[in-house]
Amino acid sequence: MIELKSISKSYGNIVSLRDISFKIHEGEIFGLLGPNGAGKSTTVNIINTLLKPDSGHIYIDGINILSHPDECKMMMGVVPQEIALYDNLTALENLMFWGGLYNVPKAQLRINAADILELVGLSGRKNDRIKTFSGGMKRRINIACSILHKPKILVMDEPTAGVDPQNRNHIFDVIENLNNEGMTIIYTTHYMEEAERLCDTIAIIDTGSIRAHGTMDELKKISGARDIITLTLSGISEELVNSIRDEHSFTVLSSSPKSIKLECDNISDQVSTLVNHVEKTGAVIKNINTRGANLESVFLKLTGKKLRD
Amino acid sequence: MLKLFKKDLLLFFNDQKSFVLTFLLPVILITLFAFAYGAIGDIIERSDNTDLLMVDHDSTDISAGFISDIDTLSGITIVKSEVGAARESIIKGKIAAALVIGKGFSDSLYKGSSIPLEMLYDRDKELESGNLQAKVVRVLVSRAAGGYPIESFMPEMISILGDKTNTDLNLIQAVAGTAILMLLFSMASVGTSILDEKENGTINRLLYSPINSHTILYSKMLFAFFVAVLQLTVMFLFAWIFLGLDISVNITALIIMILATAFSISSVGIFLAAIAKSRQQAQSLSTLVILVMSAIGGSMIPLYFMPDIMSKIAVLSINYWGIQGFYDIFWRVLPLPDILPEILVLTGIGVVMTALSIRLITRNILKLL
Repeated sequence: MIELKSISKSYGNIVSLRDISFKIHEGEIFGLLGPNGAGKSTTVNIINTLLKPDSGHIYIDGINILSHPDECKMMMGVVPQEIALYDNLTALENLMFWGGLYNVPKAQLRINAADILELVGLSGRKNDRIKTFSGGMKRRINIACSILHKPKILVMDEPTAGVDPQNRNHIFDVIENLNNEGMTIIYTTHYMEEAERLCDTIAIIDTGSIRAHGTMDELKKISGARDIITLTLSGISEELVNSIRDEHSFTVLSSSPKSIKLECDNISDQVSTLVNHVEKTGAVIKNINTRGANLESVFLKLTGKKLRD
Repeated sequence: MLKLFKKDLLLFFNDQKSFVLTFLLPVILITLFAFAYGAIGDIIERSDNTDLLMVDHDSTDISAGFISDIDTLSGITIVKSEVGAARESIIKGKIAAALVIGKGFSDSLYKGSSIPLEMLYDRDKELESGNLQAKVVRVLVSRAAGGYPIESFMPEMISILGDKTNTDLNLIQAVAGTAILMLLFSMASVGTSILDEKENGTINRLLYSPINSHTILYSKMLFAFFVAVLQLTVMFLFAWIFLGLDISVNITALIIMILATAFSISSVGIFLAAIAKSRQQAQSLSTLVILVMSAIGGSMIPLYFMPDIMSKIAVLSINYWGIQGFYDIFWRVLPLPDILPEILVLTGIGVVMTALSIRLITRNILKLL
């Protein structure tokens, strides 16, 4: 549905994007994950036609957005990072204005606005001015204003920045609902837990390059990030450590007389095998701590740094 | 306490806006008002030359000698004319006054009766006319010292404007001057709303939609123009209903003047936003420009109270052209063709400012593909 081919963008001597390419399939939630300054907003602004790349092409449903920007804009909704609303207009007035820019007939727009206010849980506040809304409520209207023309693609640039957990969950529900209706969603964030919860596929971007792109399982494989088990035992012999290493596909990360830290491909499949093996040697297990590979470890493996560095 | 004081002092001198508003703006305004009140103007005025139209119905050697004496005075150039042409020149604002020497001027000097001497003048140019009157009286006095029995040296001053509509010049000045001053402020505010939209992200959001950047810019200009027309219309309607300004004197000219003034001032408002980098900078710049333009252009102090040099400087201000255009309609009661210079200047300012704003805003605010 969306294809970026060899996109590069520089600002003077500063290279923002280096030859990035990826595809986004219809109906998926695509996450663009990276630290601040990685190139997420530049990528999003090129997709939503605000910026022109120095080189490369972008296609939406086979249409080149650089030569047919208006056609592509009609297929897209964009939720900006800022709360870009008119504070002195009511929620409904904002919706009618922003939706009206996409040439939706007024009667249809009213129906869409009512549905969307219901979706974001703000029907009861439709006639209140935006300036009276809390930050989280403004964020929800910010999303609502982008989907009045029922776009096929919704581009969301860090839509939960500064939002409290309750409103964040509400926003996640809205996104999942829209996706269930078939909307393709491009979601940028630097919150790993958001990307893990929402996204079908994730591209990890750092210093203007796509380091990896795929599902969570694919990213784990690409990055080599593995699950981790830490066992606390009554006593650990060198023979035990060697036997675990030799007889099973575990990697010993560290060991001490009381504990051993291991890496494996799949905790749920391998933990019982490990427990049986240890118990056969007569060692007593005092504690088992497991941690599955996550985006943080994937990111660390791929970039050599933590996401919030 | 001293540390806090030093901190505030440091912040103050590091803040260019505060510095400009505290020192530069008052210095500029003091200088302008000093000119206006004549403190500096007097010095400059000595070298000014004023035309005086002379109509001689007496046509004697005495009247010719009198005219010749006036002509020798520094700062006056005599231009011979007829009453009709003189009146027209004054009505059109080309000249401040005309001296009409009536038949029997020479006889009345000998007989000691009152002298048939009239000075037709434009109250809009009261200061200039008063200056001319004083010089004429000085010549008469010097001739009286030569043995002429004169009872009164004062020519009869006849204001030939304002009779048709019975309108007070001060009311026209108050309405036109204030309307233009306030319009400048409100248009600067409309202009800075572009920067507001840039700062709060709504400009970008507009650019995400299928409308192009020029549509955004032109709609903002159209809005500024509409508000300006509305504001001027409301002000003149208010002046008509509550202050008795007769706006029916030339409705067509008034409408065209309102449109031209609104166009030029709204374009100035947009231009001020276009050259600023932030809302704060736009506000400081607008305050400075509006106060200076209004001070020299006659919005704060009527130009007829100012020395002649100020009228020459005033042409640099948009206020001047607006106020003069409204004077032409309400005070001089001129037909539309005679108001065209003001209309064309205002429209020209609007066209130039709009062209510059489009270029600057497109480059600086609406960063395009």
